[in-house]
Amino acid sequence: MSKKINLLVVISGVAVGIAALVLTALGNPANMGFCIACFLRDIAGATKMHSAAVVQYVRPEIIGLVLGSFIMSVATREFRAKAGSSPATRFVIAMFVMIGALVFLGCPLRMVIRMGGGDLNAFVGLAGFAIGIIIGIFFLKKGFSLKRSYEVTKTEGGILPGVMVVLFGLFLAVPTIFAFSETGPGSKRAPVFVALIIALVIGALAQKSRLCMVGGMRDAIMFRDFNLLSGFAAIFVTILIGNVILGKFTGFSTYLQPIAHASQLWNLLGMTLVGWGSVLLGGCPLRQLILAGEGNGDSAVSVFGMIVGAAIAHNFKLAGAAASLSEDGVYSVGGIGTAGKVAVVIGFVVFAIISFMNIAKEEK
Amino acid sequence: MREKTMKLVVTFHTTAGAMAMEKLCRKEGIEGRIIPVPRCITSDCGMAWCAPLEARGDIERAVEGRDIDLAGYHEVMV
Repeated sequence: MSKKINLLVVISGVAVGIAALVLTALGNPANMGFCIACFLRDIAGATKMHSAAVVQYVRPEIIGLVLGSFIMSVATREFRAKAGSSPATRFVIAMFVMIGALVFLGCPLRMVIRMGGGDLNAFVGLAGFAIGIIIGIFFLKKGFSLKRSYEVTKTEGGILPGVMVVLFGLFLAVPTIFAFSETGPGSKRAPVFVALIIALVIGALAQKSRLCMVGGMRDAIMFRDFNLLSGFAAIFVTILIGNVILGKFTGFSTYLQPIAHASQLWNLLGMTLVGWGSVLLGGCPLRQLILAGEGNGDSAVSVFGMIVGAAIAHNFKLAGAAASLSEDGVYSVGGIGTAGKVAVVIGFVVFAIISFMNIAKEEK
Repeated sequence: MREKTMKLVVTFHTTAGAMAMEKLCRKEGIEGRIIPVPRCITSDCGMAWCAPLEARGDIERAVEGRDIDLAGYHEVMV
């Protein structure tokens, strides 16, 4: 049984890697075949929650991931409607996870995709991500808990899949109500139904395999269990080999990487925030989508928190600016402004308060 | 590589429950270890307590009257 599951995790990782390569070849931004943070941010923009004109699009990939998980969980009778585990706290944590991700310019999944694309800045992000996970594990070992969830109505469990169906229906029926980028990452899109179908498959695979960037590292560090981490490694290797085959790999470098900055302290700290927050939430942004698809209302709240976090990040100019080369050849490493730096620091303070305040008192 | 045998896997509603169980079992001298919840039990990704089958009685006695949010006992190959 366990050997099968191991293989399934690797297969899922390879599938995610191939999907990311295909989606990029079909139009998605470079090193961004899949990015949960970026795509939720695009949806926040499309629904006019923020007005950053370059990152607005109703990403079918997000809709497909949630619905793929929903369909698989219903088909295999694993759909379990439950909720009630500190929803407001989860909402706030998720907001800061998104802010950290947009400071770095990518969720943990895009971090791995960037690594496979030769972006050394993403390796700095990986170091920060690992530090954040270690901090999170420290609090888990101290007894951190957002308390248990309880069985709820199927309607409650189906909220995010329902929202996604309605969003997709509106996107097809009345696209004019949404904002769409004409330039920038939001304007780079794979064909709608190809993206949707690929994401449905990945969502279903991720539900079966429990693929999770945070879970992989957590299990490796805490238990020397490398099952989930093998999915993480499979994505990296697949992307790397794919980029080499497609002639897109030009070596490892920090210089002028696609939609990335070389402000390393903030690459590190942004992903530290993501790692820490994701451990507190019990899974990375991808995992939150998958859990919400299989009926977890707390994860649905986390997804809404991430969407609001994305809107805040762009409305208050907290997100990172990509490195660029001006017309006269001046290179800018990009990075974040003062507001973004303050937001990251506030995020650490908020996580510290939440972490300490939710440590269960020990029984005498 | 650890050989797989039939084990008792105790699941919890929260990670803190698994941590509390680990502390309790260490204190009471009950054999076992924390593991990621096996996929054959649930699609959730929390932690569980894995112990020899014969430890069930000791575990049940140890958790009695304590505030450990235990979800269930499972016998699986681990």
